[in-house]
Amino acid sequence: MRIRKFLGEPMLHFLLIGLALFGAYRWRSPGDSGGRRIVISQGVINDLVTQHVAARGREPSAGELNHLIESYVHDEVLYREGVKLGLDRDDIVVKRRVRQKIEMIAEEDASTRAPTDADLSAYFETNRARFVQAAVLTFDQVFIGESTSGLGVVHAAAVTREALRKGANAEELGKPTLLPHRMTRTPADLVTRDFGASFAAALEKVAVGDWVGPIDSSFGAHYVRVSDRTPAVAPQLAAVRDQVVREWENERRQRARNDAYTKMRAEYQVRIETSLPMERR
Amino acid sequence: MRQLVIGTVFLAAACGGSQSPPGPQATPATTAAQPPPAVQLGGPPSNAGTLTADSGEIQPADPAKFHKEPGYSPYAGRRYPERPYFGDEHVHTAWSVDAGGSGATLGPEEATRFARGEEVTSTSGQPVRLGQPLDWVAITDHSDMMGMITEIKGGNPEMMADATLKRWRDMFNGGPVEAKKAVMELVAAQANRKLPPAATDPKFAKSVWAKTTTIAEKYNEPGRFTAFIAYEWTSNAGGGDNLHRNIIYRDNKDKADQVLPYTTFQSENPEDLWKWMTEWEKTTGGKLLAIPHNGNLSNGRMFALTTFSGDPMTKAWADARQRWEPLFEAIQMKGQSESHPSLSPTDDFAAYELWDRGNLTQTPKKPGMIAGEYAREALKNGLKVEQDLGTNPFKFGMAGGTDTHNGLVAAEEDNFFAKFPSAEPRADRWDEDAMNFGPNRIVKGWEMTAAGYTAVWSTGNTRAELWDAMMRRETYATSGPRMIVRFFGGYDFTPADATRTPAVAGYAKGVPMGSDLPAAPTGKAPTFLVAALKDRFSGNLDRIQIIKGWLGKDGKPQETIYDVVWGDKDRRTFVNGKLTPVGNTVDIASATFTNTIGDPELITVWKDPDFDPSVRAVYYARVLEIPTPRWTAYDAAYFKIKITDSKVPMTTQERAFTSPIWYSPK
Repeated sequence: MRIRKFLGEPMLHFLLIGLALFGAYRWRSPGDSGGRRIVISQGVINDLVTQHVAARGREPSAGELNHLIESYVHDEVLYREGVKLGLDRDDIVVKRRVRQKIEMIAEEDASTRAPTDADLSAYFETNRARFVQAAVLTFDQVFIGESTSGLGVVHAAAVTREALRKGANAEELGKPTLLPHRMTRTPADLVTRDFGASFAAALEKVAVGDWVGPIDSSFGAHYVRVSDRTPAVAPQLAAVRDQVVREWENERRQRARNDAYTKMRAEYQVRIETSLPMERR
Repeated sequence: MRQLVIGTVFLAAACGGSQSPPGPQATPATTAAQPPPAVQLGGPPSNAGTLTADSGEIQPADPAKFHKEPGYSPYAGRRYPERPYFGDEHVHTAWSVDAGGSGATLGPEEATRFARGEEVTSTSGQPVRLGQPLDWVAITDHSDMMGMITEIKGGNPEMMADATLKRWRDMFNGGPVEAKKAVMELVAAQANRKLPPAATDPKFAKSVWAKTTTIAEKYNEPGRFTAFIAYEWTSNAGGGDNLHRNIIYRDNKDKADQVLPYTTFQSENPEDLWKWMTEWEKTTGGKLLAIPHNGNLSNGRMFALTTFSGDPMTKAWADARQRWEPLFEAIQMKGQSESHPSLSPTDDFAAYELWDRGNLTQTPKKPGMIAGEYAREALKNGLKVEQDLGTNPFKFGMAGGTDTHNGLVAAEEDNFFAKFPSAEPRADRWDEDAMNFGPNRIVKGWEMTAAGYTAVWSTGNTRAELWDAMMRRETYATSGPRMIVRFFGGYDFTPADATRTPAVAGYAKGVPMGSDLPAAPTGKAPTFLVAALKDRFSGNLDRIQIIKGWLGKDGKPQETIYDVVWGDKDRRTFVNGKLTPVGNTVDIASATFTNTIGDPELITVWKDPDFDPSVRAVYYARVLEIPTPRWTAYDAAYFKIKITDSKVPMTTQERAFTSPIWYSPK
C-alpha cells in the first residue's frame, strides 16, 4: 500500500524522468565538440541584423547586437540539447509547424511561374459562370409595412401610390425604417444582402423609371423606383482578368499542396494495428 | 517502466506539448521574462503630448461634418454613413502557432475567401459556407511568426545576377526531380546560413508577413469587400492573463511590409506595444489602432486601475491608451466581457455567455479581479480616472469578433464551426472539454459562444473609411446577428425625430455613437435617438435599453439600466419597475422559433430623467432579440442527441451593444 502510494508520487516521476533524460543525454552526446560548436559567422550576424531591421526599421546598436547574439546562442544551446533528447519528436506544435513549412515550400514552388494567357483563357472558359458580373442597380424605396397581405398594407400601398404619383418626397412617405431609402450603383448581390434575394431579383425585372409595387423584401412590402440598371453580364476575360488570375492562382496553390502530399504519402506504408471504432454521424 | 511513461507524459504536458494544445496560451509567454535591452521603440512616454495633438488629425471623417446641407436635392451633401458594414476583426488561421498546432489546415487565403462568402472545406472535412457573407475581415494571426523560406522570384534580374540563385531558378524550371533538389539545397542553405546575400536582402526576403499582406491585398476590393492587414499581439502576462490586442492597419501592403509586426518576444507590456505603434507611424507615415479582447480572461488586468507594472496611472499613460485603443472587443467565442452579474446585480441580462472562472489558462480568479475585466465597469471607472487625471483611458467603443482558430468566421447559431478543429460540428462536442488545464480548470464545449461581429458605421466599404469609423468609435458589437442599430445623443431630439429616417435628425441635431456630447445648455438634459432593425434571418427584437454609468458625488461609479422601447407594446407592462418578459417561442426539440412575438423594428427618443449637469456620465444602448435556439439546440436537433445537463443553455437572447456617448461637465 505504502509502496503503491510512493510509486504514485509526482516527485518520483520527476526523478525517474530526470534519470532517464540524463541517461539518454549521456548516451546521445558522446562528448564530441561537433554538435557543441556554435559559430557566429558573418552570415549569422547579417541575418540577425536583417531581422532586426525588418522588425524595428533600423540597424541594431552595438549593445543590441550583442544581446541578439547572446539570445541566438541561448536558443541554439537549448534547441540543440532538446533535439538531442528527441523533445522535438513528440511535440505536436513542432510537428505541425514543420508540416506547414513543407506545405508552404510546395506552394511557393508552384507559384514561381506566372499564368500565361493560355492558362487564363482555358480557366476562364471552364469557369465562366463564376465570373458573371451581377446587375448594378440604383433605386429608391418606400417601406409600406411588414406584412404584404394585411388590409392596412393594401390601404397604405394605395395611399403611397397616390402620393408618389403626385410627386411627393419619397423619404417622407411610408413607415420609418433603418433600411437605406436609396442605393446608388449597387451590385444586385449587395442588394440581396440588405433586402433579400427575391427583392433583388424583382428589381432586375421591373420597368426603369417608374414607381412600382408593392414588392416584398425580407422585411415586408415596398414601393420601388429603379432609376438606373446595368443588367448582369457574362464578361470578356479582359474585364475580369485580375479576378481570374486570383482564382487560377488559388487553385494551383491548393493543387500543389495536395499533390506534394499525395506524392510523399505514396512512399510510405501505413499499418493500422487495431480495429477502428465506427464514427457516429 | 510504467512510471517512466507516466512521467514523460506529465512532463510533456507541463511543457505545453499536450496532444491538444489548449487555446492561445501556446504562444510562448516565458521568453519575455528576460526583458529586452533598455532601447525601446518610441522612446520614453514624453511623446504623450504629441499623441494628444495627433488625435485631432486622425479623424478625417469628423461626424460633425455629416450634417445634411440644405439644398433642393435631398441627397446632395449627404455624407453620413448610410449603412453599417459587418465584419470580424479577430480571425486566426493555420498560420497562428496554436491554431496550426491544433491541426487547423485553413490558412489566411481560405479564411478570407470564407469570410467573403465562398464555400470551403473545414479542417475536419466538412463543407461550410456563411449564411451571409461579411463586408470585411481582419485576419489576425499571432505575430510570433515563423521565419520562412525566401522566395526566388522567377527571373528577377537583380537576383539572377547571383549564380547560385540563377542555378536554383533553372532547377525549379527543370522538371520535378530538379525542382525538388533545388528546394533541398535552398532549405539547407537557409538552415546553415549560407544563402546568397541577394536572397536575404530585405527587398526580396519573403517573410510569412509579406505573404499575409499579399493575400489581404489580393482579396481587398474597395467598395465590395475589405480585407484589412492585421495581426494579433498576444500578451499572456504572468502565463495566461489575457492582454491580447488586435492591431488593425489603415494602410496597404507597401506600408505594412516596411516593418514586421511587434511580438511578445520583444515585450508583453502594452505600453511597449503603444511605443512600437508610435514608432511605426513615424517610420511609415501610416496609421494603426489596437483592439484588446477577453477582459473576462485577464484575471483583473485588462482594465486594472494601475499600469502593467502595477504603478499608478499617469496622464501620459491614460492619453496613450485612449489614443491607441479606441475599441474593445466585448464579445467573442470565449464569452462576453460587456457586463457581469456580480458587478451589475440589477441587470437581468448580464448573466449571458459568461467565462468567469479563471484566466486564459483557467487559473482561478481571486475576489475583486472581475471588477477589472468588464467593459461596463471600465467605462464607469474611466469617468473617475478622467476626473482625477484629466484623461479617460477607457474611452473605448464596442467591437465583436470570433477569435476563431480554424479560419472559419462561422458565428451563426445554426452554422457554428466553433473555435478549434476539434470542436467543429460533431455529436459529442458539447460535452467534451473545450479547454482542460487540470482539475477544476476545465471549460466545457457547450460553453463556447457562437459570436460575434463588429458593425461599422462607415461612409463606404474601404480600408480607410472603415478604419476611420473605428477610430472615431462609430461601431457596435453583436453576438452574431446583423441587426442595424442607430444611437445618437443631443439636447434637442423630440419624438417627431423618431418618425422619419433617424440618421437625418441624428447627425443634424446630435452626435453618433462613440462621440462626446457637447456642453449641456442651461436647463436641458441629454436626449437620445435610438433605433434598431432586426437581422432579416434572426429573431424579432425584445427591447432596447440605455445603460447609463455615472460618477456619484462621493466619487463612486454607478449605473442605471433603462428600458426605453420594446416590442409588443400593447401587451407588456411594468411589474415592480421591471418590464415583463417578451416570452419565448423556441421549440428546443426542433430548434425552431417563430417571430410572432417582439417587433422587427424599434425606435424612440429618450430623455435622461435623472440628469445632473455637474456629474460625468456615459451612455450606451443594448439591443436584445427575442429568445432563439442556441447552437447547442441546433446540434441536438441535427445529431439527434439528448442534452440532459440542465446547465447547458438551449436558447439564447442575441444582442448588440453600441459604442457609448460621453457627457462631461464643463
